[in-house]
Amino acid sequence: MKPIYLIFSTIAVIALSVLSCNKPDKTDDTDKGNFDKTAMLVQYADNQIIPAYATLQTNISELQAAIDAFASSPNSGTQAALKTAYANAHLQYIRCGLYNFGPAESAILDNFFNFTGGLDYSFTTDGALTGFSVDTATILNNIATSSNNFTSLSRASFYAQGFPALNYLCFEPNAIPNMDAKRAQYLKDIVARMKTLSDKVAADWASYRSTFVGNTQSNSGSPIANIVNQIAYQMDVLKGPCIGWPLGKASNGTVFASKCEAYYAGISLALAKERIASIKSFYSGNGSGKGLSDYLVSLGQAQLNTDILAQMDIVATKLNDIADPLPTALTSQYTAVDATYKEIQKLVTLVKTDLPSVTAVQISYADNDGD
Amino acid sequence: MFPKIASQLHKPVSIAPIVTFRIVFGLLMFASIARFWYNGWINTLYVLPPFHFTYLGFEWVRPLGHTGMHLIFLCMGLSALMIMFGFLYRIATVIFFLCFTYVELIDVTTYLNHYYFISLVAFLLIWLPAHRHYSVDMRLWPHLRCLTVPRWCVGILRFQMAVVYVFAGIAKLYADWLFDAMPMRLWLPAKSHLPIVGPWMYELWVAYLFSWFGAVYDLFIAFFLLYRPTRPFAYFFVLVFHIATAIFFPAIGMFPFVMIANSLIFFSGSFHQRLQSFLPGYTSANALPSQVYSFAQAQLWSIGIGLYISFQLLFPFRYLLYPGHLFWHEEGYRFSWRVMLMEKTGNSFFTVKDSATQQQIEVNNAAFLTPLQEKMMSTQPDLIAKYAQHLAQQYQQRGMQQPQVYAQVYVSLNGQRSRLFVDTTVNLAAQKLGWQHYTWVLPYKP
Repeated sequence: MKPIYLIFSTIAVIALSVLSCNKPDKTDDTDKGNFDKTAMLVQYADNQIIPAYATLQTNISELQAAIDAFASSPNSGTQAALKTAYANAHLQYIRCGLYNFGPAESAILDNFFNFTGGLDYSFTTDGALTGFSVDTATILNNIATSSNNFTSLSRASFYAQGFPALNYLCFEPNAIPNMDAKRAQYLKDIVARMKTLSDKVAADWASYRSTFVGNTQSNSGSPIANIVNQIAYQMDVLKGPCIGWPLGKASNGTVFASKCEAYYAGISLALAKERIASIKSFYSGNGSGKGLSDYLVSLGQAQLNTDILAQMDIVATKLNDIADPLPTALTSQYTAVDATYKEIQKLVTLVKTDLPSVTAVQISYADNDGD
Repeated sequence: MFPKIASQLHKPVSIAPIVTFRIVFGLLMFASIARFWYNGWINTLYVLPPFHFTYLGFEWVRPLGHTGMHLIFLCMGLSALMIMFGFLYRIATVIFFLCFTYVELIDVTTYLNHYYFISLVAFLLIWLPAHRHYSVDMRLWPHLRCLTVPRWCVGILRFQMAVVYVFAGIAKLYADWLFDAMPMRLWLPAKSHLPIVGPWMYELWVAYLFSWFGAVYDLFIAFFLLYRPTRPFAYFFVLVFHIATAIFFPAIGMFPFVMIANSLIFFSGSFHQRLQSFLPGYTSANALPSQVYSFAQAQLWSIGIGLYISFQLLFPFRYLLYPGHLFWHEEGYRFSWRVMLMEKTGNSFFTVKDSATQQQIEVNNAAFLTPLQEKMMSTQPDLIAKYAQHLAQQYQQRGMQQPQVYAQVYVSLNGQRSRLFVDTTVNLAAQKLGWQHYTWVLPYKP
């Protein structure tokens, strides 16, 4: 060997030996062991996702029947029955909203069912269609002209169908006197489309299931990455469109009460509570012992897991401190809502920083190279 | 001593190694650019984002829009092919270097060490007569044919390869990597889907094996490649190592293949002549007239080479001039061959405040940045400050007076719990960007 290489090698060996002397005490790794990711995915598919879509199908059918009843005889009785059916369906959709990958993603279900306005959209003025807005102008125009553009991929289209439109047409202050044949038809068209879409997603899961449970990778677009990303995304929705933006966080304290989710149906707070409950249920695998939380424990991250679950409980407790309805509470109980917002922000950090870093999952759908 | 080294540098050696290098480099670059285009990354990285994180001193670099960017990539692809075929080689290398470097300078958040490596190699190729044998240029202008080149022409490429490896190795000599198997112990359990080896990915000793093997490989592989008796054996390890990284970490893209192909530069001239003799249309080196390639102004070249080598050897150590934990502050982190070295994740909440009215707005990062930009910005101090300045500018345009920008940034390093990254009371928009230490980054607490 030429002298120069010998010198280099010697330096490197010495460097290594010196560093070896500083060996610190090892951390505890007793928790670490094999984890059956396939069993986790089977649990998610069979016990959570597929049954949730089946329930959604039922709820949408019941909603369809309730809308028919309300449309044929609009009165406070049929409207009250409709509100129950509506709340059931919307709450059930919040549970399903976490599964926005695979069939739901292909069907663009989330935009057509319950458009959030997109997180990459500035939430600034009251008139602009952002967050959980309702595009009443487009809706009324569609009704007047007996037309719709439901399949169009535009914000106006998303804001004129699904839960936002139902919520407005069924529960706005003059929903009963305003009912007429055209309006009835529009309502029926909306819910028929929701039926078609939910049926399609439920049916597609039958074939997608094997793809889902058969892929235990963690790269972008894999089931595990999707689960982590959806939890992070729904936390962002809870932080922005559900609570923070209506509260005026993005608008220097100017409150936008009417932009609360399902404002006219008056179930904004219930929906927010359901959101955190279903995030927790998704994260923990509904206590099955085969959830993402159990994966964390198997990775030696029991403390982080405990803290994430505890923070989810704190957010739920803070939401319980707010008195219904949320749109009023934004001003009358600013402190309570603001306290909730702060706890949500802490949870966002846990699920967008700590959680992905220990599961080697990237928060982002970009699939470019890294090093 | 200097004249002796200089005469060694200019001693004629076979041109064959740099001819192979030119061919495989051109081919790989063409493939990389085609892949980049096919994946739609020209659009997602350089056309759609409304804002770009520019490099210090290169703030004037701007993307060229949809058509312009695609034309740039077309030029890059064509010049890569021209390099491969050795057609109008000098022009092709200059075009390739300029286009590639321009694209890399558009946005810091797309920085990758191997892109820096490609820029450097493209720069070196401009000066190397790698088209003087087995090329279209040689067919067109037979009198240009050369069989030998000054020794430094081969040596500088070997040096550049060795720099990548050795510095990547030195970078791994830190306690987390060696004694805690970080971040391998975080990354490997995500690879349990792999056939055969999958179940072992949960084993801690496997993470240690990967860490130590990686460090030892990077530190020593270049020397074993340089030393003729160990060379074939070392190249076998190059194959094993880079194929393994390609399987385990597919997200690193073309890098393993670039290193596998470019490591051939360590083989001898006779090896490369034999290799090239399998190529179509190759005429035996001795069958045709040729000249000895020599550079005018040998002394100037020696000085230039000396400067280049000094820069390459010193620049990666600039982090030593900064206080604080390198991985936390990332001062002197880029352009230093720190490849796949840490797991760093962050998220950030920015607030913009009107100096006059004290009105404040919480910023929705997604409205200003792409997911990739937001991810990169949230862990790198200079990008945080740059983004704060951008926000101040944006909100000034929206009517705010002297907007102040504050941020709550949380960062998790190597699997530790996330903690506050920058001083929440500091107006980040007012912070100067530069080479100085950023005091508004909170100190790292282990």
